[in-house]
Amino acid sequence: MTPAALIGTVAATLIDGEALFDTAVASLAAGVFVALTGSLAIYGFATAAEMQRVGRDVAAVGAGALAVVASLAFMGALGVGLYLIISG
Amino acid sequence: MDGDVVLVIVVATALVFDFTNGFHDTANVVATSISTHALSPRVAVGMAALLNFAGAFISIQVAATIASDVVDAGAITPTVIFAGLVGAISWNLITWYFGLPSSSSHALIGGVVGAVIAAVGTAAVDGEGILGKVLIPAVLAPIVAFIIGAIAIIIAYRICGRLRPGPVTRGFRLGQIFTGGMLALAHGTNDAQKTMGVITLALIANGNLPSTGFDVPTWVIVTSASAIALGTYTGGWRIIRTMGTRIIKMDSAQGFSAQGAGAAVILASSHFGYPLSTTQVIAGGVMGSGAGKRISAVRWGVAGNIVVAWFLTLPASAAIGAACYGFVSIFGDGASGPVILSGLAIFLGLTLFAQRIRRGQPVPQV
Repeated sequence: MTPAALIGTVAATLIDGEALFDTAVASLAAGVFVALTGSLAIYGFATAAEMQRVGRDVAAVGAGALAVVASLAFMGALGVGLYLIISG
Repeated sequence: MDGDVVLVIVVATALVFDFTNGFHDTANVVATSISTHALSPRVAVGMAALLNFAGAFISIQVAATIASDVVDAGAITPTVIFAGLVGAISWNLITWYFGLPSSSSHALIGGVVGAVIAAVGTAAVDGEGILGKVLIPAVLAPIVAFIIGAIAIIIAYRICGRLRPGPVTRGFRLGQIFTGGMLALAHGTNDAQKTMGVITLALIANGNLPSTGFDVPTWVIVTSASAIALGTYTGGWRIIRTMGTRIIKMDSAQGFSAQGAGAAVILASSHFGYPLSTTQVIAGGVMGSGAGKRISAVRWGVAGNIVVAWFLTLPASAAIGAACYGFVSIFGDGASGPVILSGLAIFLGLTLFAQRIRRGQPVPQV
């Protein structure tokens, strides 16, 4: 057996591959979702304020709607996190 | 009678460990919020303390298995637990002094492993368990968090990078309060359980609780929650400074990304039964949010010191735990050894505290 194969065999024995893969994928999905929704909410609120300031009311409403939807999605993600903590 | 004295000492030592766990790991939760001015230092540690306290009540799945996957459960006696706790507390204090964020869980496992080796030899230690439960997760945790932190900051900059900085900064600071709160709650849920587990284990070993079908006594839950909350409120300012300002110079978007990545990884790993160190996850997230902006934004020297501390945690706390067990066993199997070692530790602690007061050293500011 080559050293690489030996390392692979040992790693396969020690690492719970399925749990690791699930953890990595779920972490990535959750991390990206939180960053995306949080950033979109900030973008929406900041843009809505800017559009309202320059008198572009329709654009301000659109940006505001984006902000509200993104905020709700962000809070939903936090709610899921809270549920996971409470349900243990 | 001797057994009761040892039990009281083990419970007190476990609560001291819980306290050091709180102030050592406060940085994980609050450093980013403080360094980006999302919260003032006192408000941040106060909020973290409250949420840690609340978190301790949410889940009381006894973590008596904290060391049972790495050592033979039959080798764990109250004296071994005591020596292991002293090893973990000592390593927590050493790393705190140097401002290095290291895992309190790994320190506890290391301390117990060292004490078990000193008590019954290496045959009682499960090498595969240490590799699979401690060393491999120690490598994977920061890598996973680093990647997610980097992706998160790229997303945040892409979306908000061209906007006026004022509202954007305020928005990310607000987001940090939520993600920081989530981290504090998760930390309280995970880490207070360790102390509850240790105390429960000691109560079972001393015959105060049956080995099966028991409920964790309310006083154990309340004291564990209080100790970790009090430790958190005390604030480990040295480590907060390292996490908040020395690894990267953090802006609010990076703070939000690091905390969001950290919370995502911790909650996902707990859910899928692959628990990772909170400390290593947050540190990885901080480094990733720095590297996602610019590789050179991370002070790799500081990051390297932290990684070295992670890999020293297990052997160093094991060595201290083994030495403590060796010292205690000089005085026989009774309560004399733990009483003398506790007395020495209290004397040393009070001396250092008195010196600090005499020098008039102010509380370090972030």
